Amino acid sequence: MAKSLSARNIIKRYGGVEALSDGNLDVHTGEVVALVGANGSGKSTMSKVINGVVVLDGGQLFLDDKPVQLSSPQSAKKLGIATVFQELSLIPQMTVAENIWLTREPMTAYGTVNRKEIDKKTNELLSLFQGTYKTDIHPHDPVASLPADEKQIIEILKAISVDPWLIILDEATASLDSRQVTRLFDLVKHWKEAGKAIVFVSHRMEEIFRIADNYSVLRNGKTVGSGKMSDINEKDLVKLMIEKESVFSFSRTGSKKPDKADKPMCLEVDGLHTTTLKGISFRVREGELVGIGGLRGQGQRDLLLSLYGAKPHSGKIKINGKESKFNHPRQAMKKGLALVPGDRAREGLLYIRSILENLLLPSWKKYGFPLKIAKAKHDAGKIAESLNLKMAGLNEPVSSLSGGNAQKVVIGKWLMRQPSLLLLNDPTKGVDVGTKAEFYSLLTNLCNEGKTILFYSSDDEELIGLCDRVLVLHDGIIRTELSGETLTKENLIAASLGISNGGAL
Amino acid sequence: MKNRFTWDFLMTRYPAFFPLILLAISIIVNWILQPNMFDRETLNSNMRVFLPLVLVAVGQAVVLIGGGIDISVGGIVSIVNTILATRVGLDGSTELMWRYVLVSILVGLLAGAINGFFIAHLRLQPIITTYATSFLYGGLALFILPNPGGGIPASIAEIYRTTTPLKLPLSFFIIAIILLVWKYISSTRYGKYLFAVGGKADAAYETAVPVTSVQFSIYVISGLMAALAGIAITMLSGSGNAEIGSAITLNSITAVIIGGNSFSGGIGGVTGPVMGAITLSIIQNIISFAHINTWWETLVKATIIVIALAAPGIINLLRRSGP
Repeated sequence: MAKSLSARNIIKRYGGVEALSDGNLDVHTGEVVALVGANGSGKSTMSKVINGVVVLDGGQLFLDDKPVQLSSPQSAKKLGIATVFQELSLIPQMTVAENIWLTREPMTAYGTVNRKEIDKKTNELLSLFQGTYKTDIHPHDPVASLPADEKQIIEILKAISVDPWLIILDEATASLDSRQVTRLFDLVKHWKEAGKAIVFVSHRMEEIFRIADNYSVLRNGKTVGSGKMSDINEKDLVKLMIEKESVFSFSRTGSKKPDKADKPMCLEVDGLHTTTLKGISFRVREGELVGIGGLRGQGQRDLLLSLYGAKPHSGKIKINGKESKFNHPRQAMKKGLALVPGDRAREGLLYIRSILENLLLPSWKKYGFPLKIAKAKHDAGKIAESLNLKMAGLNEPVSSLSGGNAQKVVIGKWLMRQPSLLLLNDPTKGVDVGTKAEFYSLLTNLCNEGKTILFYSSDDEELIGLCDRVLVLHDGIIRTELSGETLTKENLIAASLGISNGGAL
Repeated sequence: MKNRFTWDFLMTRYPAFFPLILLAISIIVNWILQPNMFDRETLNSNMRVFLPLVLVAVGQAVVLIGGGIDISVGGIVSIVNTILATRVGLDGSTELMWRYVLVSILVGLLAGAINGFFIAHLRLQPIITTYATSFLYGGLALFILPNPGGGIPASIAEIYRTTTPLKLPLSFFIIAIILLVWKYISSTRYGKYLFAVGGKADAAYETAVPVTSVQFSIYVISGLMAALAGIAITMLSGSGNAEIGSAITLNSITAVIIGGNSFSGGIGGVTGPVMGAITLSIIQNIISFAHINTWWETLVKATIIVIALAAPGIINLLRRSGP
């Protein structure tokens, strides 16, 4: 049976801020609608509206052209609408099975949860992603013990376990590796044929063009365009998202990358071992921008944390020619290292504290005792300005910022210390295109100033467009190193999957 | 294949594993100091003293699993004690006693419901709310019975003190029933909701778990268990004292933590806290049998408790710095 859901002129305010001023969306069974827009454009709010998590301040939802009210997640669920939340709705302490079937557990006649049945049904769902897990997932494994991508998969399985007709995928691919994304897209195609409707929220252009039938673009809380995917190209879609003429370009591609072979070595790593790394050796020259690629969870995080002294490791690390053994990030900071961690909410920022405090956190020492607060404010202001930080004021909490701007604060707090070696762990994850472009030029400028950057990204295009060289990690070793001619998407993906050495080495 | 017999696995999968070790150690030490510990009489006289704390700890465990804390339980115990001591009296009839046992249970449920309403519906902080209501309930107990006195008929108190079905202490049967009920509840849908709300309330809400009702219910359960403890403590002492519950609150929280539950909610069970409560009571026993000078008693007891609480953390620390 064909079904449809429409949102008309949706208004939603959070305090004084209008997150949505004129949101519109149409979804029909058998189609995938991409909901696109820059960060802070109201995409997440829109998906919360459809899912009944937020109460509307204006506008109307229509189910099959009849007005309908969604006052809670329960009512949305009853109407067959399920959401894969960007911030997962999983309970870490509970098991995989308990999480997937929470509120819908199969019961026995005695009012207890039917354990056999729940395990059986969980295994059926788990088999949908069979072959993409790092280790076998057991229905009784606590969710907290799973890596981020597998948690994301559990969240997806939880949403489809309701057998909904409408599935909202809110940045569901952000933490998945390419193999898992491909599997998810196969499933999406299958669901589409089975008469389900899918709303796909993503920042990744390539994925949107791969999977979506229609698009709907939000800009500053307003729907500014919609239509068929086949009638639009990437450039025009991005243009719709950002008002200015496209800034989405890799400033380094095309132009000849300056040769750095004569520069001194900044970082030399020999035989680095941790629980996940099995002997990593590489060299980085001063001023280089070196990428780290590969599927998620192949040791990239461990590599960056070890270099930063935040993870026990063995092996030789030389920084600027001097052997260094860091047991604590403080020692690494003193030597001019900076780490932008992967999870900005948990590791990068104090969310409820002000932007000022966050920016100054690693640098307070510089401002003496008693604190020269005026100078500190002045310096923080300058950094914020140079990063083009969009904020109501330095004293506003970081939680008031959008994802991209929050990430700028993380980078800004390290730039205040003038680091010589920057370690970046997927800094553009969940960041909108406009801000991404700003990051790219920032990174390029930093390198030109002679700073060295080690850059892990889950976005292959980014690595190819931006980096001098890319080290591809697979299962705790450097599978291959790609640069110049060999640095192509095909090689990168092949090496990531461990299929080939990607033409190099 | 993951190794399912490592220390980490045992600790996370069976939260009652560590409290079991502690309980075994304390029983052995107690046994050495008090060789007749397992005699029917001694066992019963010990267990009837332990039971009130066990009951309160069970309620407290449910609250902590659900992500809250209840520091008004001592006040509820005191109210129940003073009600029974003043209303039934030393020469009251059995029928009067049972009537007021019923009233006591209702009072416990009501007190818990008041806590629950403030915390779940008005969204107040559990620790502040129950701290405030602890004075409300404690004050009410003092109002009912300003000076220690009153009591219940000795014949009724004897039922609690000397009943030993199958030659085993009555407390064993009560604890067994509680554990069975918990076993059942934790495998019902309500049980899953309880862990979900305690683990991550926002995520539970988005998954359509009735978060408010669950939060309300945990305080009602805690109030009920405190009322049962109040009845038990009254039958044990046979008399009334408005201060009788004041020590039990912190002891119940300590018992739950020794029992392997987490302050942050969503983890643990009731078996561990029951063992924690018994361990805590045995420690008290050991101290009195070890002939420790009264002046030192608090210090020694506190030291043992701190070591017991810190042990899992210390073991983890040693393991981490090891090879």
